[in-house]
Order: sequence, then structure tokens, then C-alpha cells
Amino acid sequence: MDEKPFGASLGSRASDMSSPEDIRNLSDMSSPEDIRSLWTRATLSQPKLNMPRSSVCEDSDVEGSSVSSKSHPWYNQQARGDSDGVWEEWGIREDKDSFKEEDLDKPSALALELSRARSLGSHLEKQDGDSKESKTDTEMTSSESSLNISKHTPHRAYWMEQQNRLPLPLMDLMENEALEILTKALRSYRSGIGWDHFLTKQLQRYIEGLRRRRNKRLRLLMH
Amino acid sequence: MRLKQGSFLWYLYLDKLYCLLSVRNVKALLEYFHLLDVHRNNTLNDVLFYHFLHHVTSWNRTQIMIVFNMLDWNAVGEIGFDQFYMLVCILLAQQQNHLEEQFIFRHSRPVFELLDLDGALRIGAENFHMYNFLFNIKKEDLRELYHDFDITGDRQKRLNYKEFKLFTIFTMDKYQERQKAEKNQELPNHPQKSLSMRNRKEYCLSKIVAHKSNL
Repeated sequence: MDEKPFGASLGSRASDMSSPEDIRNLSDMSSPEDIRSLWTRATLSQPKLNMPRSSVCEDSDVEGSSVSSKSHPWYNQQARGDSDGVWEEWGIREDKDSFKEEDLDKPSALALELSRARSLGSHLEKQDGDSKESKTDTEMTSSESSLNISKHTPHRAYWMEQQNRLPLPLMDLMENEALEILTKALRSYRSGIGWDHFLTKQLQRYIEGLRRRRNKRLRLLMH
Repeated sequence: MRLKQGSFLWYLYLDKLYCLLSVRNVKALLEYFHLLDVHRNNTLNDVLFYHFLHHVTSWNRTQIMIVFNMLDWNAVGEIGFDQFYMLVCILLAQQQNHLEEQFIFRHSRPVFELLDLDGALRIGAENFHMYNFLFNIKKEDLRELYHDFDITGDRQKRLNYKEFKLFTIFTMDKYQERQKAEKNQELPNHPQKSLSMRNRKEYCLSKIVAHKSNL
């Protein structure tokens, strides 16, 4: 069993979608406000990272992804409605043979969760008392494992990301690229319709908003 | 045409069998589309569309505007997400080991409708010439297409949908034979090279019948 399961799952995702620097940056975050601060190298054995799912759900909109939350109610609603079950079902149903690679690798993440839950479950059994017979990992059924998952939600950051957001490295990549494209488009707007046109100003404000978000993320990365 | 390495689209991929994006990829693409949708219309205008394609592809202005006019099938001057998704699938089909044949075979109807600019339910050779950078159809293949597949014989050098479908089936067979040959590491001896023109038509008709019976 991998000692750093989230590192492994994040690494497998990130290697598909982003550079190694992004992976390192994610793991170096320490701000409690930012979801990336929750992506540390810690394992499940650190109790402070284990949060009940209810508090994770409440905090799922901490970091502003204002574009997605304002403009796309349809998939936000679908994601929030039964997000975990829906996404997990879709992840398992997808035809693995047809697809060459998976960016989030849900089935393997779920397998990792189950194995972690087993190890957690066996650990908790030992704590309960020496008089009770502790179940071995092989004797735990998958239903017991899933029960343990629901009781002891492992990693807050993982569940926060799974709620209704795309992975942060992917968002970074998309926003950086969008910024480059829109900056060039702004020049065309200015030369085509003028600096004072309301569309030009709207685009300018939008670009400034994107830049502010990106700078805020970079500042958090520095800390 | 190759997508710009490291760009967002470069990381996406089509399912090899159905030539479509997965749900996760569509979600990511939708997010990306909305990042570019500056004016909150759920559309991209021609300027934004041009700069997007100019950033991620090596196409020139003329080619980009041809694609824009093709996708703006409602003639509103803007591209919605449906058209954007179609474009991304076409780009990825080119990118991914020449999946164009598979893509055209799987989505022959939408492709036919895209190429049928004037809505006459017929595609002329000039349509193909205009879009050969998009679907990677070579000149010799085009000549063969109009020579061999204009079965209705209207001699107007325009194909209807059935003839176009026939062409896609034939191209798909060629592609699969090429794949097999590459697997066996032999040079393909394509059937059409050894067949006469009349036999080629008969071969194609037999393929249609086989295809229909499989459906």
C-alpha cells in the first residue's frame, strides 16, 4: 500500500495535465484559506486532516471560481446535488478500454480510498480494545470499507476538489492560456473598435480580474 | 496541423472508437469556453475565435475565418459551445494519429452538413478543396472520390449524402487495412490499386450491404 496515496493520485493526474513545478507548488501550500494549502505530504495518520464531510461540503466554495459558479448553474447544481455518488458512478462506468488515459483516474482513486479505509479501520479496531479480536485487512468486506470511508472522510482537500471543481493545475493552465489569448484580443478590440467602446472596456475589466486572481494565487504560492 | 504543445487542448483526447470527448473532458472544455466568453453571451465572437485558434493552431487568418464561417451555421456572427465542441473534436482527430478517417466515418452526417455550405444536400469538389486543411483529404483522394463514388451519375461532380457515406466507409476500410499492415509491419497492398474501376464500385457496394446487415 502506498504511503502517500494522495501524492500518487495527484501525481498521476498532474503528470497528465501539468508540469512537475505545479505538483511541487501544490504540495508546498500552507495557507488555510486556499485549497492548495490542504495538499500537503501528510498521510492519513495525521488526525487534523480528517474532517467530517459536512464541514467539507460547507466550505466547498471557499476559493473563488466566480466564472464557473455564476455562469454555469446547470452543472454546479448537478455536481452539488449528489456529487460524490454521481461522479464516482460515472468514473466507474466509463469504459476503461476505450480511453487511453484518465485525467482524474477515479477508479484507481476509489481503490486507493478503499485500501486506506481498510488500513484505517484495522487501526481503529486495535484502538478500541485489546480484548476484541481485530479484523485483518483481508477479512474486511468492501461494505465495511465504504462505511469506514463515510465515517472517517480521509482528506479534506480531495473532497473539496471533487465537489464541483476542476483540478487546480488544470484551472491554472486554462486561465493562463485564456489570459494570453484575451490580451491579444484586447489589442484587436482597441485597434478595431477603439479604446472607449464598452466591449473593449468590458474585456479590459475581465482581463484585470483574471490577472488579479492569478496574482493572488501566485502570492499564496510564494507563502 | 499540430496543436500547440502544452496548450490546454493538447492535453485533451478523443475516444478512439467513437471520436468523442469523455464527460470530464467536456466539463473541462466547457469551463475553458466560459473563460473565453468574455461578454457573457455563451458565445465567442469572431475576434475571440480568431485569437483562440491563432494561439492553439498553426492556421493562418484565411483558414481561421473559413472555419469560423463554416461553424457559424446560423449566421449570427458568433460561435456557441456546440460548434466549439465540434471544432475541438475535429482538431483532436487531426492531432491523434490521424483519426480523421475514423472521425468522418463516425460523424458522417454532421460533417456532410458542415461541408454542404449552401444547403443543397450536395457537396461539390470545391467544398472539399476549401476544407482539405481541416479534414486532411488529399487531392488524389478527392479525384478518386468524385470519379468512383458519384454513383448517381448526375455528372455534376457533386455528391449526395449516400455517396459521401460510401466514401467514408471505403476510406475507413483503407484506414483499417493500413493499421493492420502497420501492425504486421508490411506495406499494404490496397485493394483499390489492384481493382479496376468497375470492380471498385462493386467492392464498395458490397461493403455497403455488409455494413447495413451489421446494423
